[in-house]
Amino acid sequence: MDWTKQIGRYVIVMLLQVLLFNQLQLMGVCHPYIYVMCLLMMPITLPHSVDMIIGAVVGLVMDVFCNSIGIHMAACIMLMFLRPYVLGLIVNDKERLNEQINQHTVGLAAVVKYAVILVPVHHLIVFALGAWSWHHIGFILIETLVSSAITLVVIIGYNTLRYR
Amino acid sequence: MQNLLKILLRYSNFLVFIVLEVAAFLLIGFNNPYPRSSLLSTANDAVAWQHETVSEINGYFSLRHQNELLAQENAALRNELSAIDSTEHGAALHYTSAKVVQMTTDELHNYLTINRGSKDGIRRGQGVRNGDGVVGIVRTVGRNYSVVLPIINTRTNLSCRFAKNDYIGTLQWDGKDCRFAMLTDVAAHMVVNQGDTIITSGLSPVFPEGIPVGIVENSILKEGDSYHTIRVRLYTNFKRLKYVEVIQNADQNELEDLMHGLD
Repeated sequence: MDWTKQIGRYVIVMLLQVLLFNQLQLMGVCHPYIYVMCLLMMPITLPHSVDMIIGAVVGLVMDVFCNSIGIHMAACIMLMFLRPYVLGLIVNDKERLNEQINQHTVGLAAVVKYAVILVPVHHLIVFALGAWSWHHIGFILIETLVSSAITLVVIIGYNTLRYR
Repeated sequence: MQNLLKILLRYSNFLVFIVLEVAAFLLIGFNNPYPRSSLLSTANDAVAWQHETVSEINGYFSLRHQNELLAQENAALRNELSAIDSTEHGAALHYTSAKVVQMTTDELHNYLTINRGSKDGIRRGQGVRNGDGVVGIVRTVGRNYSVVLPIINTRTNLSCRFAKNDYIGTLQWDGKDCRFAMLTDVAAHMVVNQGDTIITSGLSPVFPEGIPVGIVENSILKEGDSYHTIRVRLYTNFKRLKYVEVIQNADQNELEDLMHGLD
């Protein structure tokens, strides 16, 4: 397990997020947060609590770029909290989780299921906390749907191309 | 005691989760709607620098158009200057020009970052305008950069009046289209026509009176309503916002102190 690789990917994905995906303006409903890819692909080797702290830090860095202190942090902590349980449901062979989670190690079907469950949860928390009222609930749901779809396309696309 | 420790150890992950989430929510709560600390926002030098570089690169693609706008603005400013010379101006106003380094226009809570900060005399609560009209209010101030809450933010309220007869209303944004905002609190007995000009009221120390805001696009008055629902087309084009001016009112502190004294 190579942590420099994880960190290198994180830096590149954050650059893409901030320079490209944060600039997308599509009728206000398109805010894909592809940086969650790094959290999703991390292997399950560290203690659960350390995983959540990493999530908090990654979220906080994103918050600084979005002027939304605490919002991405809360969403990423939730993501990292749920991650092992969701993986436990989907992947039978627990040995596989010691490596980074991708198509090679757990198979494409598992990666898709895993991402489809967790990405919308993360996005929904970000948008709901960002709006901070029930007033815009319809808009939040549409925003979650559209943005998660784009994030999922990027994550699954990266997986199929990189780990063919 | 040993049992308690055992339980704590058993649920330690869940405890860490709760503690972290509570920390995140405290951060959100203390900083809502926008971060107060300039370190943890886009007023942070490093982050603002990144945004500035991006907007710098994008800037090359719209140079010609921007030049045109600047020339227009220069002309308008000269006109304004001559107008000021000939009228008595109540408060001592000072304008600081600033460049927009980053801006959102399609979220519910939009904000923009400008390349002026405390070292240029920018303070929280100062008004921001451009050549066309009102832009917003300074929210978070860093040393070199500041975050501005524009009027196209669902949390911004702006006191306005009709240019033709001084009727007062409150401008709010409905979160839909950055070209339009809603004017509320205008009583039903007043006649509203399409094309009426809306200006700032001068009732708050943030903006002096008479800065253009927009024109009435349409107005709805249903049977039994006691207030108009007025849609205002804003003068400021937020999609193309590049240069703004921060209004520094020498009397602002005194006025605010007086108002707080009333509470």
